[in-house]
Amino acid sequence: MKKIGLFLGVTALALAGCSGNDGGNNGDNNAAGDNGGGEETQTLTAWAWNINIPVLEEAAELFAEENPGFELDIVETGTPDVYQQITTGLQANGEGLPDIMLVEDDRLQGYLNSFPDSFMNLSEYGFEEEHGEKFPEFKTELLSLDGDMYGVPFDAGPAGVFYRVDLFEEAGIDVDSIETWDDFIEAGHTLRDELDVAITGIDVNNDDGTYRIMLNQQGTFYFDEENNINLNSEESVKAMDVVARLDEEGLNENLVGWDAWLGGLANGDVATAPTGAWLTGSLIAQAPELEGKWGVMPLPAMEEGGNRAANLGGSNYMISANTENPDLAYEFMEFFSTSEEVQLAAMEGGLFPSLNTIYENEVFTEPHPYFADQPIWEMFAGMMNDIPFANYTGDYAIARDEAETAQAEVVGGMDVEEALQSAQERLENRIK
Amino acid sequence: MVDQTKRVPYFFIAPAVILFAIFTLYPILASLYLSFQTYEGGTYTFAGLDNYTRLMGDSIFWTALSNTFFIFIFQVPIMLILAMILASVLNSQLLRLKGFFRVSFFLPAVTSLVAYSLLFSIMLQNNGLFNEILSYVGIDAIPWLSDSFWAKFSIVMAMTWRWTGYNMIIFLAALQNIPEEMYEAASIDGAGKIRQFFSITVPSLKPIILFAGILSTIGTLQLFDEPFNLTSGGPGNATMTLGLYIYENGFEYFDFSYGSAIAYVVVMLVAILSYVQFKFTGDK
Repeated sequence: MKKIGLFLGVTALALAGCSGNDGGNNGDNNAAGDNGGGEETQTLTAWAWNINIPVLEEAAELFAEENPGFELDIVETGTPDVYQQITTGLQANGEGLPDIMLVEDDRLQGYLNSFPDSFMNLSEYGFEEEHGEKFPEFKTELLSLDGDMYGVPFDAGPAGVFYRVDLFEEAGIDVDSIETWDDFIEAGHTLRDELDVAITGIDVNNDDGTYRIMLNQQGTFYFDEENNINLNSEESVKAMDVVARLDEEGLNENLVGWDAWLGGLANGDVATAPTGAWLTGSLIAQAPELEGKWGVMPLPAMEEGGNRAANLGGSNYMISANTENPDLAYEFMEFFSTSEEVQLAAMEGGLFPSLNTIYENEVFTEPHPYFADQPIWEMFAGMMNDIPFANYTGDYAIARDEAETAQAEVVGGMDVEEALQSAQERLENRIK
Repeated sequence: MVDQTKRVPYFFIAPAVILFAIFTLYPILASLYLSFQTYEGGTYTFAGLDNYTRLMGDSIFWTALSNTFFIFIFQVPIMLILAMILASVLNSQLLRLKGFFRVSFFLPAVTSLVAYSLLFSIMLQNNGLFNEILSYVGIDAIPWLSDSFWAKFSIVMAMTWRWTGYNMIIFLAALQNIPEEMYEAASIDGAGKIRQFFSITVPSLKPIILFAGILSTIGTLQLFDEPFNLTSGGPGNATMTLGLYIYENGFEYFDFSYGSAIAYVVVMLVAILSYVQFKFTGDK
């Protein structure tokens, strides 16, 4: 009997220990709040990753100057883990979610449509009326559901073609003469013939990013503005055809996955990357020795004189509807998204801010040493107003799955129109 | 006092039972319930067998099922036979450096699933290590990850690398329980090494083969990490597996009910296959 007593005692102690720890933590938090700003706790929790962390830290420091006692508890969680956690939290009616969370453009409408009650409606706080004009329309529309805004815009991914200046010169290609995707493909042939280098490193079986850029620049997307599936549109066929030709004519190096792609750009197997401005940070980190050898040109148009602006990627902050400090969370995010100082800090990490009030800042006209002193930010800023809205809808993830299947089929030899038509039909079946 | 001592064992198993109930039993039952519901406009409603009838007409589900079976039919036998051969070689009295070889073959089983998948994906790139080695012996580059046949092959290869050593250890342990006298008697009767392997080793290992077979079957039907990290289910849906499709439905499309329905199909399949294996290999 003594032994049982001992055993139970130990168990009880262990359990007590657990709850004791919890109590301790809560105590600490309260203490922090008390020290700072009185009775109400001034701490917010945020989930973010990577180069976004220092920006949040900087913003919290600046915000605390005006709001003594404010503290931001940042939990660094990488993608895609953070999305699994957010999805799990949303499934549990917002239980366990932080006050604010970073959500990329391509996830946002999916969350908003599936869990509309889980995010704070910022229009109720007047965000759109007060600040809507400071952001490009494609961003504010992305963050809207039934006319209300549910997140603050952060960075954008205006797209351009990153290219190797030295390789282009060696092959004798004049960058200014590349105005259409046809010209781009022609340059690909020159690169192949002269230097035996691939012009693109598209993961043709798993990533349709280039195709999506071309959809967006033509003013359409997987869905049209009325939410109709638009995979079999004329624009879509044209866009997919460019990818098909790059692959078929031996101009593309099929690099599977993000690491292989960056590796290919760093080791000279691949001469260009048509992608969002956010590549800047990764490129500089991955290939510092190529300083001065990269440049950026605007996207080629589909037809001569066509639109050359598009967006790929970018992110936003959303506030949980469950937050205990809704006013504080809103005030902080309002400050974060509209403070020029914060957005300039983001640029140092290679993120391109969507806040248009800072595009006049001298930072934008400064020559960028990594890009042979080309003022790349000025170029990207100039595109922002021309980027058409991409209608992601709540079914983006399924649509992307079908578009990527179609792209893989095309690369495998299927006719472009046929592949897109059957993707259209499969998608209609899946989301009806 | 008598009553009290009868209660004692329950105290001891209580922690395990409670944890099992919370973290295993509850999710199992909850996901069964979930598979009969649909999520619309922020709430779950009862939907009967809707998710299951939807499965019947879902071409991706059928593709995932056939891919899973393709991998199962090739990978499990190859791996178990390899493991058995390796185990008997390592069990041989003639071999030196046994410890070294045993550790080497077992090491893959302790590597992280993500880390090894990433390494394989680097080696299997078009200009990766595998193709470079092939080019030295004059073989053209193989599209390991971008051709629908080779992508499945790559997954089978990676899985075999990862799990053969694990099964080998199980077989090795069993081999050491086979009395040496049986082999001596057999060799006096004039049986060669091969004959000994099929007449003594394989029959003695029968229950262990069954055990390893069922474990591998369950593992293959739940296959997720390799296609997720190596091919993301591509090209097209050529390496989409049931496990990956469950994940995508839950975490990409937020359709947890449909994912749960697929999970229950996997449960049924595991039950059926295990039963078949018992019938064929088990003692009556």
